[in-house]
Amino acid sequence: MGERLLLRGNEVIAEAAIRAGCQCYFAYPITPQAELLEHMARHMPRLGRTFIQAESEIAAISMVYGAAATGVRTMTSSSSPGISLKQEGISYLAGSNLPAVIVNIVRGGPGLGNIAPSQCDYFQATKGGGHGDYRMIVLGPSTVPEAGELTMLAFDLADKYRIPVMILADGMLGQMMEPVELPDPVDPGGLPTKDWATTGAAGRDPNIVLSFDLDPEKLKEMNLALQEKYREIEANEVRYEESDTEDADIVIAAHGTIARIARSVVRLARAEGIRLGLFRPITLWPFPYEPLRGLADRVDTVLTVEMSAGQMWEDVRLAVAERAATPFYGELGGVVPTPRGILNEVRKHAD
Amino acid sequence: MSRGAVVIDAERCKGCGLCIAACPQQVLAFSGRLNKSGYNVAHMEHPDACIGCAFCAMTCPDIAIEVYREKVPT
Repeated sequence: MGERLLLRGNEVIAEAAIRAGCQCYFAYPITPQAELLEHMARHMPRLGRTFIQAESEIAAISMVYGAAATGVRTMTSSSSPGISLKQEGISYLAGSNLPAVIVNIVRGGPGLGNIAPSQCDYFQATKGGGHGDYRMIVLGPSTVPEAGELTMLAFDLADKYRIPVMILADGMLGQMMEPVELPDPVDPGGLPTKDWATTGAAGRDPNIVLSFDLDPEKLKEMNLALQEKYREIEANEVRYEESDTEDADIVIAAHGTIARIARSVVRLARAEGIRLGLFRPITLWPFPYEPLRGLADRVDTVLTVEMSAGQMWEDVRLAVAERAATPFYGELGGVVPTPRGILNEVRKHAD
Repeated sequence: MSRGAVVIDAERCKGCGLCIAACPQQVLAFSGRLNKSGYNVAHMEHPDACIGCAFCAMTCPDIAIEVYREKVPT
């Protein structure tokens, strides 16, 4: 910690990755994520690290696969349409137990969509956009400083569990400028050694990094090992935030940018006597099902608000399991709800 | 009274609209013109109404706005 800087979310994620010891970064430019790549282009070569603007998103994620297999910390970033292209590589990373960080600065979709903020890639991130029975850890920052903190955490979790980790932010967080105190850089030499990495087999048996086995019984064992890892992550890594929930009758469930806007809504609602609280998942996978279920036992209504047609809403309903009413309010296509707009929805459900 | 003029660096602008909201004279608006990143950049829709208060420049998070002001003799 130290100097306080005014930076945009994209730059903070890039700088946090550098400070987390990211040795290799590969990406292809896309708005509203471009400043992340620009920051890496400016600073990675200066530090003697690898920056490559790949010929495509698929090339970039495949380069991440190669770098991760050698044991170095590696990252790629993009925005929605580019992340769709990376799905094949993400599935391969998951299948090969490789640690990597993938940043999605989500924009309006589907298809080419637009360049405005959206949360419409929640399904793709949390339910697996690629093929196969895999999961990745998904972290949803709601402020620019938190985007930096979660990026540092993403590298640690990726290494700890040998799993791809996604930062799911949106165009608002990517572009927004906020005062930030950046975390101290980690010492790359102090990171745990990776005895599974392909670092040259002189003096030892070769390490093999592969997501392939023609024998169904052996592939089944690989899959069971993955599932065991996912249960361990679900048990240990659920992160969430509750605020103003102690006396709440109604809570907003929201992640990322919307959770931040919802904080203003809580203030507005309480000023007019509505006991409103906020439940914010920080890990979107593993989703905080149990904590939300406990909260649902104490409130009448869990109102999900998203910049999507109701994607996290499905997880909220799974968690609440009919213990409380579960209405939904969403905006689509890159439209960002205002505090007043959300407050109007809250009023409908408060009596 | 003073008269002003606003110069917006279109390539720094991300079309957030904060300057448009901050302008007490409703001088600024979205231009409908896209910059290299694809953002709809702000411009002076009603240049004659500008008083050079520089609220727009103060609120701009991307330091994309310069304001020129001249005193008008009354």
